[in-house]
Amino acid sequence: MIMERAYNPIRRYFGVRNFFKMLPLVILYDTLIAGFLTITGIDGSFLISLIMAQCFGIPIYTLIVVALRVLNPEGRFGRSVVICILGSACGYIVGSLIGPWIIYQFLSIKIIGFKAFSIRSGVFALTFGIVASYVFYSIAHFQVSAKLIQKERFNRLSSEKEVLEARLRLLQAQIEPHFLFNTLSNVLSLIDTNPAKSKSMLSDLIQYLRTSLSRTLPAVTTLGQEADMIRAYLDIQAVRMGERLKYSIDIPEALRKFPFPPMLLQPLVENSVEHGLAPRIDGGMISVKASETDSAVSIEICDTGNGFSMIEQSGIGIANVKERIRLLYGDKGRFTIEENPPHGVRASIEVPRNDL
Amino acid sequence: MIYSAIIADDEKELRIYLRLLLNEVWPELVICGEAMNGEEALHIIESERPNIAFLDIKMPGLTGMEVAKKAAGICRIVFITAFDKYALEAFEREAVDYLLKPVSKERLVETVRRLRTNLASSSMPPAELSEAIGRALAILPGKTSPAFLQWIRAQQKDVVRLISVDEVDYFKAEDKYTLVMTKGGESVIKKSIKELSRELDPNRFWQIHRGTIVNVSRIDAMSRSLTGRGVLKLKGRPEFLTVGRNYLHLLKQM
Repeated sequence: MIMERAYNPIRRYFGVRNFFKMLPLVILYDTLIAGFLTITGIDGSFLISLIMAQCFGIPIYTLIVVALRVLNPEGRFGRSVVICILGSACGYIVGSLIGPWIIYQFLSIKIIGFKAFSIRSGVFALTFGIVASYVFYSIAHFQVSAKLIQKERFNRLSSEKEVLEARLRLLQAQIEPHFLFNTLSNVLSLIDTNPAKSKSMLSDLIQYLRTSLSRTLPAVTTLGQEADMIRAYLDIQAVRMGERLKYSIDIPEALRKFPFPPMLLQPLVENSVEHGLAPRIDGGMISVKASETDSAVSIEICDTGNGFSMIEQSGIGIANVKERIRLLYGDKGRFTIEENPPHGVRASIEVPRNDL
Repeated sequence: MIYSAIIADDEKELRIYLRLLLNEVWPELVICGEAMNGEEALHIIESERPNIAFLDIKMPGLTGMEVAKKAAGICRIVFITAFDKYALEAFEREAVDYLLKPVSKERLVETVRRLRTNLASSSMPPAELSEAIGRALAILPGKTSPAFLQWIRAQQKDVVRLISVDEVDYFKAEDKYTLVMTKGGESVIKKSIKELSRELDPNRFWQIHRGTIVNVSRIDAMSRSLTGRGVLKLKGRPEFLTVGRNYLHLLKQM
């Protein structure tokens, strides 16, 4: 079994980057303490107070951060308090050892009368340590929860997006029963009169059904697979409509492997045929063409059918395509519908090359 | 008595198939014509005056229903359909003859038996039959149009383009025309603000002024100007839109 390490924002928060990010604040805080001690006359020299304060402050800060990261109290407040108090104490001892030494090395002043373990300096260290810990704890807490909220929101948004996309795809994968029964009727009537034709129609139908029905699964398909399905569909319709339907599919070989979401082109093609061409007594022509630029792949579906009325009749079908392109590609995808003079519709989809 | 019939279906193979089947179950029936669309069917019915018309419901030009409405007094009608839930319910209720595609021989034998009895009793279709067809057609839902406007035809340079209403930031009256403002630019449409306000979904589009309709989802902020008028700011747009006095109540709920 693989144990997955859970995302732990607290542990993450006490990392090297945040350590250095907060360090200037600590130094500033120490400086303020030194200033306070000088102004109140508790200590005589600001310089000495400053050095001493940094010698206490930085080790205290370092020890607490390291302890929090290693021991990882995960929001248990009592433990955090204990860590802070012990960290302050240990840091204080370190500071009282190295502070006088540093002052002697650099300023050649020997501090006389500094009692490392005097009650007074202990109380100061503890008081300032607790105040500092509280401030830093609050900052950390605030930032961690902001991050958690952000992450939560992101998760929710992306899962909502996936659910919506799945639902829209499912809607579009529905097979029109009218189409199914009509095709089967044709196969049945051709069995005696033209067995070869009925055979090829049946295998087109099988391919169409197989692809349609598998499209409810969120698998990545290619432009080539989409083109094959459209061809199967148009072959079937060509038998049904005879001379009235002419079509061409032009997908360059290089683009056949391009990953492309299922059920985007097919609803457009089916709409063109069902609502654009079929109602016309003399039928018409439909062409599907793909092309590429450096950054985008575009597919154009043109028909010489009844024009925009077919889209207005299609109800949510086309609006669905639009919505899915927006969900899948954001601002990088484009979907336009134009008039194809003298009559008909030109629908184009443009998607970025290096996405999905 | 020799009877005649016509077959109307836009699909050639299905016409051939029905003719073959009819030939088998009713060899004496004369097929006096085949039509591949509604107009042709009506034309043949009027010129040949057959006893029976087999009409596919979905045909280019006139549909089978529209042909039946005009031909119900001339001949008996048998509808053919692959799948049409509403039509089938209506036909069942009004006892109108219909065949389902793929047409089965058993069903056709049954239909033929009924037609023969009917025709034997009177050569003219009884009035109640055409009435039944009329009633069946009447209860069918008409062409369903989407409840609210979803697409707008707009002239952009020299092409006419369909714009989804979701893309629209706002509509603005401009002389006799209306400007459609989208992220990609503006286009002109002939529909007036008044017409648009009737056709757009009132939950998604608000009229905020005599000459302005905004997409509610694009509203970024609303504030009051010094003179007490409401002004709207839309997401990603620099301009401010004035809210008419009569429309201020809409924005109170925000």
